[in-house]
Amino acid sequence: MVRDGVAVRKFMGSYFGRLSFFILLGFLLFLASNRVDELRVYQGATVAMYVVAIASLILLTGYSGQVSLGHGALLAIGGYSAALARNHFSAPIWICFGVAIVATALAGAVLGTAAARLSGPYLAGSTLALAVGLPSIANQFHILGGEQGLLFDVGAPPARLGADFTQYKWYFWIAALVALIAIWWLQNILRSRFGRTWRAVRSNEVAAELAGIHVGKSKTLVFTVSSGLAGLAGALLAMTIGTVSPSAFPLTLSFALLTGAVLSGVTTLSGVMIGALTLVVTPEIADAISNRFATSENVTTNLPGLLVSALLILVVLLVPNGPVEQFRTLRTRKRANTHQ
Amino acid sequence: MTMYQFINTILIGITSGAIYSLMATALVLVWRSARVVNFAQAGQALLSTYIGYEFIQRFHSFWLALLLAMIAGAAVAALIDATFMRTLFRRAGHGPIAGVAPIIATLGLLGLIRSLLGLIVGGKDARISPPVSNIGFTVSGHTLALSPLKLLIIGSVLTLMLVLSLIFQRTNVGLALRASAYSPEIARLAGVRVDGIRTLGWALAGAAGAAAGMLQTPDGNGALSPDSLEFSLLLVFGFIAAVIGGLESLVGAVVGGLLLGLVLAFVLTYISGSLVFITAFGVLIVVLLVKPGGLIGSRRGRRA
Amino acid sequence: MIGLNRSRLLIASTVLATAGLLISSVPAQAFSPHSEIGVTSSSIKLGVTLPMTGAASPGYNKVPSAIEAYFDYVNANGGVNGRKITLVVKDDQYVPTLAVAKTNELILKDRVFALLAPLGTANVKAVASSVNPGRRGIPTLFVNTGFSGFGIKKGYPTTFTILPSYIVEAKIMAQYISETFPGKKIGLLYQDDDFGDDALAGFKQAGLTFTVKVPYASGSQGVAGVPATWIQKLSAANVDVVVLFGVSSATGAALGTAAVMKYTPKWVLGSVGGDATTIKALGVPAGVLYGATGASFLPATTDSSDEYIKLFTSINAKYNNNAVFDNNVLVGMNTAFVTVQALAAAGKNLTRKGLISAIEKKGAKFFSAGLVPLNFSASSHVGYSGYWFGTYGPTGDLKPDGGAYTVYTTDSGTGAVVKSTYKRPAMPANGLPTQS
Repeated sequence: MVRDGVAVRKFMGSYFGRLSFFILLGFLLFLASNRVDELRVYQGATVAMYVVAIASLILLTGYSGQVSLGHGALLAIGGYSAALARNHFSAPIWICFGVAIVATALAGAVLGTAAARLSGPYLAGSTLALAVGLPSIANQFHILGGEQGLLFDVGAPPARLGADFTQYKWYFWIAALVALIAIWWLQNILRSRFGRTWRAVRSNEVAAELAGIHVGKSKTLVFTVSSGLAGLAGALLAMTIGTVSPSAFPLTLSFALLTGAVLSGVTTLSGVMIGALTLVVTPEIADAISNRFATSENVTTNLPGLLVSALLILVVLLVPNGPVEQFRTLRTRKRANTHQ
Repeated sequence: MTMYQFINTILIGITSGAIYSLMATALVLVWRSARVVNFAQAGQALLSTYIGYEFIQRFHSFWLALLLAMIAGAAVAALIDATFMRTLFRRAGHGPIAGVAPIIATLGLLGLIRSLLGLIVGGKDARISPPVSNIGFTVSGHTLALSPLKLLIIGSVLTLMLVLSLIFQRTNVGLALRASAYSPEIARLAGVRVDGIRTLGWALAGAAGAAAGMLQTPDGNGALSPDSLEFSLLLVFGFIAAVIGGLESLVGAVVGGLLLGLVLAFVLTYISGSLVFITAFGVLIVVLLVKPGGLIGSRRGRRA
Repeated sequence: MIGLNRSRLLIASTVLATAGLLISSVPAQAFSPHSEIGVTSSSIKLGVTLPMTGAASPGYNKVPSAIEAYFDYVNANGGVNGRKITLVVKDDQYVPTLAVAKTNELILKDRVFALLAPLGTANVKAVASSVNPGRRGIPTLFVNTGFSGFGIKKGYPTTFTILPSYIVEAKIMAQYISETFPGKKIGLLYQDDDFGDDALAGFKQAGLTFTVKVPYASGSQGVAGVPATWIQKLSAANVDVVVLFGVSSATGAALGTAAVMKYTPKWVLGSVGGDATTIKALGVPAGVLYGATGASFLPATTDSSDEYIKLFTSINAKYNNNAVFDNNVLVGMNTAFVTVQALAAAGKNLTRKGLISAIEKKGAKFFSAGLVPLNFSASSHVGYSGYWFGTYGPTGDLKPDGGAYTVYTTDSGTGAVVKSTYKRPAMPANGLPTQS
């Protein structure tokens, strides 16, 4: 039994193991998309978008110790650049996603250079101010379409998929595939030399510096990669709502993403689904609760915010490194005990 | 006419800057004593202002309510530090997210306070009317952007600053506050009860935030609501003002607030009315890039 | 070692998640293929998303309960063709992402027959693009925004507007100002986005020039000190008349600040920011509105001689907890009134297709409280396109100048502004237009 477990773990630890895991997961999602109704398929696409956005924040926070309170602003850059590429150059959607990644990574590199010189609260406050100022930037430049924003139409699903193949299933397929590739790629990066460097910086900046790592450069690189992922998430968000507009990236989105990252645990990518699912499911739970128990409008409208904030605070207080890390620590401790 | 426009622009800058200063002061006080930028400050100010509103309903005195709201704000802040933040630092004070846990926690607190307020008082009509006239003074036929209320706000900011600097410069507690801010370890070795002193820092900040809320509300449209846009913006502009002033210094917070107020007033009057947020963000970025220690910061710069 | 564990946990969490997705999926509800979604022999289900909370919600969040109140009144009197109407309300907080998510819930989970009175240009556009009610054939009735694009049938085949567009409003306002204040210097405060752009386009077309134009960034009215700079600029320009073409919170901030700076020009308010109770709820004393000019296409809310106002006031008392009867309540009830006729006109065999063609065929003849006709036809999905102007009284009630409504109409294009000769027909008995 123990031996089997080791074999499985060994396989999963290998490059091909991870690749086959992601392919298997993709196949499962494909099967799922044919089984569930359209609303779930749409929510699945939203979950995939959140997975990418939260992974981006986990990378930033867990691997460089920085935090962004205005990640929505980076998503906006991605969404807008994807829409501009689509509308002005009729670029294929894959190119649009690429443009979103590159444009946002570039913006991130600039921001990151400034951010590497600043400690946590400064970056947090600055990103907050950026997110607040975003709408007026969109309104200053006519190419950005003002308050009503720009259309971002990825097109109807290919005809060969059949007449019953809905638009949302198509969105879900694209978003799920993009998310799988992004997370798979990120996993590999984190296991590479870069990942090791970032982890070294995270655990001890001084020691890393002594070991010859340029901490500032390393942080800037993390911010750049994180921004690229955020841009990708922004393009996915724009796809699912078919448009980009300033009001699609409110402060509440930035706060929700941060909440998702904390719920997932910022030290590891493994829990990324927890945060993404929670963000989609909480409003439904709140809806169900208020439909069953409350009649007051105050309860209905404030319950989702209350649940999410309470969850955030509980997680930070009780399992600051996230549920996955906590579970892992517990198990390691348990194993150590049984071995004694 | 243009001279009056110029004078009024300066007055608008100073009076709105005074409000940003109060919020900046609150942020600086917490930062100095706990190395935390308290994003919940907007929520605490809102809660204190609601408490102040209730006192006004009961005692029909703005002044008494202002005092009680400041006491309540201090109590709430002390409670937050003594229970919530202390637990947080014990549990997440080290490890990979130690640096960001306080930011996340105070953000969560902000959400919690707002949604709880929404549950309790959401949809109710709450309004604070100005305790003194808010009609501008007239000088040879021209109305100035200065009213008794604005004078009161400036006076309150000055009084608060005076009281705070007396506490900091002339009392033992102030010495302990400064010592803990400078180096908690050394202060602890010197026999300072660092925990208690930090809680006191939070309490002072809570009072300053409460004053900001109680003075801003009647100066604006007077209406209070749990999802008030005004309070969120107050936090953002207060933060920018605090950063301009170096985040460490009380004088810096006041100077930062006034400077931000003046820059905004001049840009809005003489360039374009739609540049508020872009200007504020631009000022923040310029300060961070050119003078990251703030205009009146300590030399230690921006380390956490 | 850590890496190995991680993969395992990754498997666990993702498999769990996939299972969660599968389990949580609700099996599609059984429904007979012959009947239309959201319609049974005894009920019709409609859905609305709009901001019930958040900075954009004041005023608008009173609309759904007003719509429901009128539906309740109709239901209590036999419904439409024996069917009772219900309304599902969802809060979108004025965020397009939420508007799309909630509209999907309305369509896929609540399975509504049609969408009613959605709000916000960016929201309606996002819903049109992503949810695409046009392709699905789902009617989107009476969009609650003045963006002129939604009336274009080609882009939004199942969408109908009801409010006059911002361009129409600006053109008529320009005409009114040139006639009422000839030779005076005019100033303008406007929101620096599409809302303001539409207005500028309308003013330009009508040939009105401003001595001073003050733009403001959406949301900046909440920043301490900002409204003072507007008043300062307007006052320095020495204008006689100031047009406030912004949202309620900006209009309120401008009027409140002007009062304390003793700045008293002749105010002309756009309809979006001109609802007195919303401005009052924002903390501005009603007195500052006294003497200002405002615009509306419905009768004045205090006009107790108007049969519609009489009807709606009594319904408001009985079915809407006697809420303050303001323009939001009036707009909500009037929208419900037109909706009921559209449903009735579509006949006993109610289908989505039938509803749309009924509005196209008979919509121009629908009764409504509006003092201008509805322009629905096979080629036009535009509702009202006119305004009358009046003066706010000491308690904030808008009353027509000279006691009678003088209505102007025009279009969103290059058409001229003309005085309307429309005579509103008498209201159907008991305000129940349920027979087609």
